[in-house]
Amino acid sequence: MIEVEGAMGVLRMHSAQPKRSWQLMDIQRSLELLHMTVYSQSVSPCGKYLAAGNNFGEIAIFSLSAALSSEAKEESKKPVISFAAHDGPIYAMVSTDRQLLSAGNGEVKAWNWSEIVKKGCKEAWCRRPTYKSSLEVPEINSLQLNLKDNSLLMAGGDCAIHMMDLESGAFTREYRGHTDYIHCLALRDQLRECLSGSEDGTVRLWDLRAGGQVQCIEVHKYEECSRPQYGKWISCLATDSDWMVCGGGPALTLWHLRSVTPTTVFPVQQCQQQVMFYQDLILSAGHSPTVNHLQISGEMKAQIPCIPCCVHSLSINEHSPEHKVLTAAGSSHRIDVFTNFGYRAFSLTFT
Amino acid sequence: MSSDSSKKRKPKVIRTDGGPQEGKRSRTDVDQDAKYYSEEAEVDLRDPNKDYELYKQTCQDLQKLMAEIQELKSKGNKDCAAEIEERRIQSCVHFMTLKKLNRLAHIRLKKGRDQTHEAKQKVDAYHLQLQNLLYEVMHLQKEITKCLEFKSKHEEIELVSVEEFYKEAPAEISRMEITRGDPHQQTLSRLDWELEQRKRLAEKYKECLANKEKILKEIEVKKEYLSNLQPRLNSIMQASLPVQEYLAMPFDQVHKQYETARHLPPPLYVLFVQASAYGQACDKKLAVAIEGNVEEAKALCKPPEDSQDDESDSDAEEEQTTKRRRPTLGVQLDDKRKEMLKRHPLSVTIDLKCKDGSVLLLTFYYLMNLNVMTVKAKVTAAAEMTMPISAGDLLSPDSLLSCLYPGDHGKRTPNPANQFQFDKVGILTLNDYVMELGHPYVWVQKLGGLHFPKDQPQQPVIADSSLSASHMERTMKLLKMRLESRLALHKQFASLEHGILPVSSECQHLFPAKIVSRLVKWIALTYEDYLELSYTKDVVEAGLAEDTHLYYMALIERGTGKVEETYYSKPPFPQMVAQPVIVGDEAPSEQALMCSRLFSPSQFSKSKLQAAVVLNPGYSFVPPVFSLCLNWKGEKTNSNDDNIRSMESEVNVYYKELCGPKPGYQLLTNQLQRLCVVLDVYLETETHDNSVEGPKEFPQEKMCLRLVRGPSRMKPFKFNYPQGFFSHR
Repeated sequence: MIEVEGAMGVLRMHSAQPKRSWQLMDIQRSLELLHMTVYSQSVSPCGKYLAAGNNFGEIAIFSLSAALSSEAKEESKKPVISFAAHDGPIYAMVSTDRQLLSAGNGEVKAWNWSEIVKKGCKEAWCRRPTYKSSLEVPEINSLQLNLKDNSLLMAGGDCAIHMMDLESGAFTREYRGHTDYIHCLALRDQLRECLSGSEDGTVRLWDLRAGGQVQCIEVHKYEECSRPQYGKWISCLATDSDWMVCGGGPALTLWHLRSVTPTTVFPVQQCQQQVMFYQDLILSAGHSPTVNHLQISGEMKAQIPCIPCCVHSLSINEHSPEHKVLTAAGSSHRIDVFTNFGYRAFSLTFT
Repeated sequence: MSSDSSKKRKPKVIRTDGGPQEGKRSRTDVDQDAKYYSEEAEVDLRDPNKDYELYKQTCQDLQKLMAEIQELKSKGNKDCAAEIEERRIQSCVHFMTLKKLNRLAHIRLKKGRDQTHEAKQKVDAYHLQLQNLLYEVMHLQKEITKCLEFKSKHEEIELVSVEEFYKEAPAEISRMEITRGDPHQQTLSRLDWELEQRKRLAEKYKECLANKEKILKEIEVKKEYLSNLQPRLNSIMQASLPVQEYLAMPFDQVHKQYETARHLPPPLYVLFVQASAYGQACDKKLAVAIEGNVEEAKALCKPPEDSQDDESDSDAEEEQTTKRRRPTLGVQLDDKRKEMLKRHPLSVTIDLKCKDGSVLLLTFYYLMNLNVMTVKAKVTAAAEMTMPISAGDLLSPDSLLSCLYPGDHGKRTPNPANQFQFDKVGILTLNDYVMELGHPYVWVQKLGGLHFPKDQPQQPVIADSSLSASHMERTMKLLKMRLESRLALHKQFASLEHGILPVSSECQHLFPAKIVSRLVKWIALTYEDYLELSYTKDVVEAGLAEDTHLYYMALIERGTGKVEETYYSKPPFPQMVAQPVIVGDEAPSEQALMCSRLFSPSQFSKSKLQAAVVLNPGYSFVPPVFSLCLNWKGEKTNSNDDNIRSMESEVNVYYKELCGPKPGYQLLTNQLQRLCVVLDVYLETETHDNSVEGPKEFPQEKMCLRLVRGPSRMKPFKFNYPQGFFSHR
């Protein structure tokens, strides 16, 4: 069953706000900015634009090329365009070679990059997996592109991973097993396996082709990394061949997947929200205003301060070598940009 | 020889008798007998020339005789004696002749003199006569010229021209045939005509005078009638007053006010007129009045007030020097300041009445030398109100009208020219005098029609009534809204201070039936205190907290311990501030221990939610902003707990859901109630750490679909009416 919603996305451009009581709108907006959280980011295929989605369902497009150019002004650090995309928060965004996919409360929407660049913000399509519960629309916390199958994996509130064929828009598979909602997904390309981290404290490996659960790691049961005072939830996950790093309630830990053993527990106290492999380093960020550079051996290489008190999203622009930057977003209306990963260069701001 | 002569004188008479007798005898034989001998008469008879010949002859003879005698004597012969005698006799005769001649010469001289004298007298008489005649001539000539120069009076009289004269004058006066040729006659008759005419005019003048007198008398009579009418009219007016009052038509009062309004300075006049007009057109309950000393204002009007402060300053200085001997520099400057900040003696008051009967009393003043208007506000509530401590600033004149329009604090003068005036007398800012003078809000200037351009500070500003009119309605509405919202807040604060959250029935659906968290404290904060709070940084940085705003602290509690009487403004966990969340495995038990030791006999700590509130003067148009700090298992703020941040946004961003019935005066209390609700949710949905012994601290009573959601593990703060469950946004 596919539910296709038409172009129902309400376009609400900030420039087109009614003139009356501008002062009130002004205060309303500054209050929104004060309480804004940016959950997701995605870089355009050309590598020149960065899309960011916040808790108010707005997507803002920043021009990295303008902000990084030598004659960058304050104005170039503001969104090229921002539009209301979803009703609720936008928790996940990915980019295909043509489209920007965003997900929030229950549905995935696609926006053509070619149109976005020309400041057109009409959604290309909108898909919604079938949910069992009718009382509440489950959120989608994570999107993962599976390029080999040309499919999209999504997971979230309904404790299941849904696979959607990007060609047809049909939901082809569903992977069930988690007992609580899923925070994050990661892909093992070589093995056609998918990893998922969940609120229930487990990381599960799924065989994408067979559709069954391969493995279930109950992270919170390992004494090395368990931290009951924070909880057992796994909020971040990254994988590289046989290695996996995951964190959340339990401490950030490097796992060897074949032997299913926690090899390194990283000395990071705060719960981590985002982790990624980068060259021979592991970058992580979470409930602290820092971006942590960790070595595989378990040493903290650097803690780079950033503006958001809690970082929800890290993104490295791999598409364009001249615009290769690390961007960190979280509980702030500002998105920090690290040109040299060692320090914060400037911030892009929502307006 | 003299002896000779004297001797010979005696016989002289004899000789004259004899000698000349002989000579004269021959001549005057006739009258010799009648007259006695008179030598005087003889003179006339004799020829002087002959006498002169005789005299010469005699002298020659005498000389000859003398010479002969000489000769004879020189010879000395006696014979010669006779001859000498003879010659002596001869000489004597000659002498006689000489004597005679001498007498004659004398008489002749005398005679000549007399004649000359006589002639001279005659000449003198003639000369006198001549003089008289000449004088007479001169006098006559003078008279003649006098006559010639005589000016007649008639030349000064302007006469009608000759042609006109002949045209108009009757024939008996003009007498054409005579006067044509004779200019004298013509002039005379013209004068006659003039006289005639003047007589006629005099007649007419008299007539007019009489007429005038008559009219004057008439006027007098009418005046008397009118003056008799005035008291009667007055009495009628007086009598009609109760009727006017009864019919609520205060014509008389209005009239008086308009009379007074003439003495208002232009900006106050504009305000008065516009406000009265607005009151008549849109708001019948609006009362506009003029207060102050009219006489003073009149006095001010008469001599054109020299607005140049230099002069007034110097005047003031003079006064000082005469009054006091040596005023200190400070006193002088003080007086100058007073002069500069002088208000016009008249002020305009506007009473804005709200629906519930409370009144906002605005008094507008005009600072003459600064050319700005100020306002003082006072509130009289309809019902007697208890004064909540935290409401101190709510109705204070200082803050009541602050920021009626955004950014209009009324602390600086809106007239840029004033700064230069202040520099002269050493006033740093008008702010120091605002309490005394009233606030110079920009909207007040606009109501008075004063508009101050920002870029041209020295351009003179004149009162413009259209400006006032365009702002009147909006400002009055804003004022009314401000008053109502403040009164509503005032009422709310009174109950907040007693820990009661008044939630009206219209708003009940916004909240679940059971709310455990309670508001226990509501106090006012100072701006400085607010700034010092660690968790308000973001709000301050976002520019949502300014010193003109009002600040409050709410304390919401939920816990098993007994409610204590005294609270602390500091966070109750000072140790926790240093290391907020990083707690080891053993920490909770330690913490619990500590808490129990410190606060209550219970095993659990009380949870205290501090909410720092920024109340914008524009409430409820502009929502209050809350900053939260939860003291429960450590200090949790928006910087270390996303859920606290989310709770803040529940009240700050989604305030529109909490406005309640229009115009949303219940916003604050609803927000506070909402905070109680979200605190309940926060505490009840906190994941229970199984490693800690004992039951769950706060049993979950709220119905939630899911406890956490999304990457940030948000708690379900959204309340769904009428099902009554909580969900996520």
